[in-house]
Amino acid sequence: MASVTLSGLRKEYGDLTAVDGLSLDVDDGELLCLLGPSGCGKSTTLRMLGGLETPTDGDVHIGGEPVTDQPPYERNTSMVFQSWALFPHKTVLENVAFGLKMDGVSEDERRERAREMLDVVEMGGFEDHDPTDLSGGQKQRVALARSLAIEPDVLLLDEPLSNLDKRLREQMQLELRNIHDAVETTFVHVTHDQNEAFTLADSIAIMNDGQIEQVGAPREVYDDPVSLFIEEFLGDTNLIEATVTETTETGVVADVALGTAVELPTGDASVAVGDDLTVSFRPEELDVERADAAADGSPSITGEITDVLYRGSTVRFYVESAGEYLFFEQSVGADSDFAVGDAVTVSWDPADLLAFAADGDRVGGGGA
Amino acid sequence: MSESTFAWLGERIKRRDAGSVFLIAPLAAFELVFFVVPFLILVRMSLNANADPGFYQPAWTLEAYRAVLASGLYRDLVVFSFELGVIATVIAVSLALFYAYAAYRATGLRKSLLLFSIILPLLTTLVVKTYAWRPLLAPNGVLNDVLVGAGLIGSPIQFAPGIVGTVIGQVYIVFPYAVLSIYSVLSTLDWDTVEAARDLGASRPRSFLEVVVPEALPGIAVATVVSFAWSVGAYAAPSQLGSGAQTTFAMEIESLMLTQFDYPTGAAFSLLMLAAMLVVSLGVMRLLTGSIGGVEGV
Repeated sequence: MASVTLSGLRKEYGDLTAVDGLSLDVDDGELLCLLGPSGCGKSTTLRMLGGLETPTDGDVHIGGEPVTDQPPYERNTSMVFQSWALFPHKTVLENVAFGLKMDGVSEDERRERAREMLDVVEMGGFEDHDPTDLSGGQKQRVALARSLAIEPDVLLLDEPLSNLDKRLREQMQLELRNIHDAVETTFVHVTHDQNEAFTLADSIAIMNDGQIEQVGAPREVYDDPVSLFIEEFLGDTNLIEATVTETTETGVVADVALGTAVELPTGDASVAVGDDLTVSFRPEELDVERADAAADGSPSITGEITDVLYRGSTVRFYVESAGEYLFFEQSVGADSDFAVGDAVTVSWDPADLLAFAADGDRVGGGGA
Repeated sequence: MSESTFAWLGERIKRRDAGSVFLIAPLAAFELVFFVVPFLILVRMSLNANADPGFYQPAWTLEAYRAVLASGLYRDLVVFSFELGVIATVIAVSLALFYAYAAYRATGLRKSLLLFSIILPLLTTLVVKTYAWRPLLAPNGVLNDVLVGAGLIGSPIQFAPGIVGTVIGQVYIVFPYAVLSIYSVLSTLDWDTVEAARDLGASRPRSFLEVVVPEALPGIAVATVVSFAWSVGAYAAPSQLGSGAQTTFAMEIESLMLTQFDYPTGAAFSLLMLAAMLVVSLGVMRLLTGSIGGVEGV
């Protein structure tokens, strides 16, 4: 167990800057998910943490000790690779015992500890199997056992679940959480899958272009995104252009491209009349009723349903208003049976809207 | 006409029994004419009696085999041939393992250069490139000039003709084949596994030994058998870069056939060495591939 501190970390490959002055703290025993789109530098960051890449600049501290210049075999970190990287010429047990063998643990003891570790990942009985004969899920468990066997200060996971099918992935997410709780080790888990990050993480760090955009508890990040990039990355939402027409005591009034003016409770944020904004109407915050139903006074627009998409357990409806489209979702079981061509009223609570300035930064800190 | 001929042929090939015969027929015919028939002629020749004057005396006798096995001179030649085979193989395969690893690790232009410089010598004939070593290794050659000039040695050393030149020449001949055998296997190595070994505490040499070598072992086995078989039967390197003391059995067989005109003894010697090499090669192959996974246990 150990805390991790990355400060001013940079990694350049020729002209390309993969990681650009990244600083991050991971608490002792925390499960942190490093989340970001592919190419954002999250795997490079993880590899620098494990010593598999040397930073161009900046420092890595593990448990307060500087380790920036230590090679991987001197660091007490352990990586679970995306490809699992099991040794094909060794049995499952030999794979799991490998790190202990390198540490000079006696043969009897390392066999014993490797067996225990295989039991933890529910792979007892597979000791003498050839790893190339295992299924993806089994390989993933063995790779996890191999990394945990050396009792690392920090376990690094480089998208180890991305090669598994959806059901197995979701099952492994829960198991990974349980294993984390059991071993009480600091985990740093890299993923591009926001659902995985929300399921697993104590804390999420969202990366973009080699930098951390936001760090926080999953709920906190979701409810209070600091930028348009995060709002777009965390889930499907309706992003509609708007122009500020008036500033009020509590915020601004903006003309939204849906053909209506909305009041945005942005506080005393520095926006002026004429500024362009992007407003996020999250589908789960929209109330939709048939246009002939009595209005309850909330701000709303009226539009026509243009498309209905069945997405398994949910149905997504697109509503057109003034040439812009808003979508909302209902579970398949809901009895509303909207159809294409129906006129509907979409209403919202202004406090649930998120506004972003032209440079992508969040305007005000209201939100849900 | 050709359309329907091909269609007919295709149909025949699809039926597994007849098809395999069609596909293998050209190669089988070639092997029959250029390998099996000459081989049988050689077997028959080894059973003839030698004649003087003349090439052979038709007969059915094992006299030629007895003569070869009884000869102390031939035994010395065979022992030297095997010594040369072992030395050249150990040097060539060890160097090839590191060369192949370097080529595997290299990227872009460097990788192309490493692989190209291995293929390039194969485009020159064996005799020419072996002969090219002579001005380099001769007592008044380039290597001696450099060593004497640098003050490393007082007077020139005769690398060639001699054993040093013979070994260098033979290693040079088999090296590209050893590299390609190992590289072809090594190119399937997942680099992540080497990183995983280092991440789990294996130093660089240890990760090489634990992960890279076991992966390369089938290639090392092929490289060993090819280098060894070729080096035991060496002809070009010892005849061009060796002195009289570096006579291999292959050179002696050439002399028996083309200078002494003793066909039955030459044929018997060939067949005995062929059998010996077959046994040794199978043994080496089994030894190396049998130990996969057992390189070092848990």
